[in-house]
Amino acid sequence: MRYLTLFKVFFQTSIQTDMEYRADFFARIVASLLGMVTTLGGLSVVFQYTNSIRGWSLAHVVVLLAVYYLLNGLIEMFIAPNMRQIMEQVRQGTLDFVLLKPVSSQFLATFRQVNIWRGVNVLLGIGLLIYSSRKLAMHIGGAQAAAFAVTLAAGLMIVYSFWLFLVTLTFWVTRIDNLEQVMWQAFEAGRYPIDIYPAWLRGGLTYVIPVAFIITVPAEALAGRGGPLQVPTAIVVGIVALALASAFWRFGLKHYTGASA
Amino acid sequence: MIYWIAVYRANLKTAIAQMLQYRFGILIWAVWGFVGPLISLAVWTAASASRGGSISGGGTTYTQHDFAAYFLTFMVVGHLTMSWDAFEFAFRVRDGNLSPRLLKPLNPIHSDLAANIAFKLTTSAMILPAWILLFVMLRPTPPHSLGLFLLGIPAVVLAGLLRYILQYCLALFAFWTTRVEAINELYFALDSFLAGRIAPLALLPAWLAAAAYFSPFRSMGAFPVELLLGRLTGAQIASGFLFQFIWLAVALALFRVMWPAGVRQYSAVGA
Repeated sequence: MRYLTLFKVFFQTSIQTDMEYRADFFARIVASLLGMVTTLGGLSVVFQYTNSIRGWSLAHVVVLLAVYYLLNGLIEMFIAPNMRQIMEQVRQGTLDFVLLKPVSSQFLATFRQVNIWRGVNVLLGIGLLIYSSRKLAMHIGGAQAAAFAVTLAAGLMIVYSFWLFLVTLTFWVTRIDNLEQVMWQAFEAGRYPIDIYPAWLRGGLTYVIPVAFIITVPAEALAGRGGPLQVPTAIVVGIVALALASAFWRFGLKHYTGASA
Repeated sequence: MIYWIAVYRANLKTAIAQMLQYRFGILIWAVWGFVGPLISLAVWTAASASRGGSISGGGTTYTQHDFAAYFLTFMVVGHLTMSWDAFEFAFRVRDGNLSPRLLKPLNPIHSDLAANIAFKLTTSAMILPAWILLFVMLRPTPPHSLGLFLLGIPAVVLAGLLRYILQYCLALFAFWTTRVEAINELYFALDSFLAGRIAPLALLPAWLAAAAYFSPFRSMGAFPVELLLGRLTGAQIASGFLFQFIWLAVALALFRVMWPAGVRQYSAVGA
């Protein structure tokens, strides 16, 4: 309860800051729309020659793309600004101030900021989702919607955990901000169904950087394509990832010495 | 001439030293170049698998091995012709870092070009094993003739020069607006289709393929790639080089006009 109140305060101050940068919003929405048009155009070129690739129809791929944008927006809005700041704080030694506060350091460090303009992609994702589900004449029943919500939440937990893991590594090696790029490179591959990739890459995108669980599983849940085991598996993977990352964060803190100490 | 050789030698030396300082960082940026072509290749391989192994359109046929050859060659050509100044320059204008560079008796484009070449020299050496591995694993159709392959080399150099100068012109928009993301994204969108990154140009809808033919983007992408692979006739090669020279002249003229106008516009942060 106390944490909810804190989060509300953080959210409000973040919005107040962001309101100062409204022009950012319009530039970003134009950029995001252009990016989306490019991807959709590319898909329509491919689907002129075929009705389905590896069992995915155009409409299903568009649902997947919508989920990709939705997740990308949520990550850039809630997760990325905080994780980037922690890396900066470790480098400058200001993380000490976070650790001294009488609340969970993990909570304070990772939920401090919200970047609302970066959330443009959330809106684009939702718009694309509504459009593509109409086009598919998809009947999204309560069960499908619930499965989607749960798997999406699990996907966010996995991204959060993965990034927290990387950030904790900075306690030992101070400069790894480039590793964020590696994560985005894998995420980029999730724009398309992972079924199109060769087996070795599919393995990597499922077990090493679990893009499959993050993007493909929610999209399949929404389209009612997933098997019965998919939802429980996603939940388990999400919870295990979170537990491991939190444990690693606490282990890392024990070894954290501060930049100037 | 001797002056310019000395200028570039000095700039290249410092740039290479800088690149080697950040070798892990630049390696990760270089690997970004793998992502786009490999995704396109996966999509087209999957699509052609559903059509019995090959796709015909625009008067040509691409088998799975042809797609592999096309996108892998594009990956290498894309790396050798890449440029990032449109992003970098905007930062410099915004935080005022451009000012000390303007005080030097040399247009900043020269030291930036040297940094660009240094990046390609160092990273190409680093990722060469990965390229070779991919070529072995994905079994692309080999090039049709050695002569055409050699003719492709000047085409790649021209493509790199053209992309470099055009993107530098694009970067100069930062003098007039601090929001260049939207302009960059437009460039990226056009480049994806018209340069042939998303699909070989022959497979695009006819109107788009026609637009690509006359655009500068083909000169910076699909033309050298198709030339290297031996997919072009003699007349097509001649016209392709002609387009490259015309667009290079246009880009140079544009830079000559935009640079002085932009510098007049520039008022440094803190001034």
